[in-house]
Amino acid sequence: MAPGLWRLAAIWLGLGLQSFGGGTATMALIRRCAVDEQRWLSEAEFARDWAISQVAPGINLLCLTVLLGWRVRGLRGACVALLGLAAPSGLITIVLTLMYASIRDSALVHAALAGVIPATIGLGLLMTWQMARPPVGASRAQGGAALALALLVLAGSAVLVGIFRVPVLAVLLGGGGVLGLAEWWRAWRGRRR
Amino acid sequence: MSEPWGLFWLFLRASLFSTGGTGNLPLIHQELTAQGVADERDFAEALAIGQVSPGPSGLWVVSFGFLIDSWRGGLLALLAILVPPLLVLLIDRLMRRAEAHPAMQGFVRGMMLAGAGAFIPVLATMLHAAGWSLPTLLIVAASVLLARARRVPVIVHLALAAALGILVDLARIG
Repeated sequence: MAPGLWRLAAIWLGLGLQSFGGGTATMALIRRCAVDEQRWLSEAEFARDWAISQVAPGINLLCLTVLLGWRVRGLRGACVALLGLAAPSGLITIVLTLMYASIRDSALVHAALAGVIPATIGLGLLMTWQMARPPVGASRAQGGAALALALLVLAGSAVLVGIFRVPVLAVLLGGGGVLGLAEWWRAWRGRRR
Repeated sequence: MSEPWGLFWLFLRASLFSTGGTGNLPLIHQELTAQGVADERDFAEALAIGQVSPGPSGLWVVSFGFLIDSWRGGLLALLAILVPPLLVLLIDRLMRRAEAHPAMQGFVRGMMLAGAGAFIPVLATMLHAAGWSLPTLLIVAASVLLARARRVPVIVHLALAAALGILVDLARIG
């Protein structure tokens, strides 16, 4: 039986408060709660919701939270789940930043940052690779021309933003448009053959 | 831009037209560094805090909002990132109808690629600001390898990097 709104809020609040360890840890907690403990949906449904969350606007995990809340209690469930997960973690983030801001000008913090900033860049590099790998893999499965076009969009976006200062929004929509047209063209040619 | 509405609108726009926890970073970075409202250090610090705080790492923007505009900035950022995820309900409905259409699949894939590509200049700028020294490059490489192994929690990962930064500083002074 689906839990009531208060129970749903309590479940998501608990998830929001114990999800230390980054997105991967939070995702693991949510999956265990939704699939194994509460049995709101099957493993396959969870995978589908996660896939949709990855192409929807905003933070993937918050999109997933909305979808799961929706499955349990409709729109009100979606809002309760979203607030339950994001509000406590958001407020803790602010408090952590407040604590950090009071010491950010000390010499020790400056020295520590000389290590933390490159480490953050390393994390960002890996994240960029992880973001690019699924679409590049899908293009590679379609053949050399599709792979070349995908790599062109990837590298071209970096050049357009980094060197020519093209607005990021235009680059995102342009990248989507180029591959959307290419896929439409491929499908159209396939039908004609 | 430090006006509340302008800041909220930027955070909302960046989140609406991006996916993932840091997909909003390139747009925010491009606009706020151009206006001189934030610098590379603000971004690096917020990203690091976002990694160690609970919840999705995308909450870095809440930390960033606080760093540039105190409580008001933090709360506006939090509000701004709460709205776009609700659109997933619409996407879910549309995807059920159009997910099989090749053009839609291509569009989504192209946006994902462009999003990843737009991230590269941000990292390059941060690296440039940190300085192209050997210790910096070694920490970047070690960080990639450590994160790839997925055996060390991010909070420990960043604590190790901080300790390394302090050690390098001590060695320089000594």
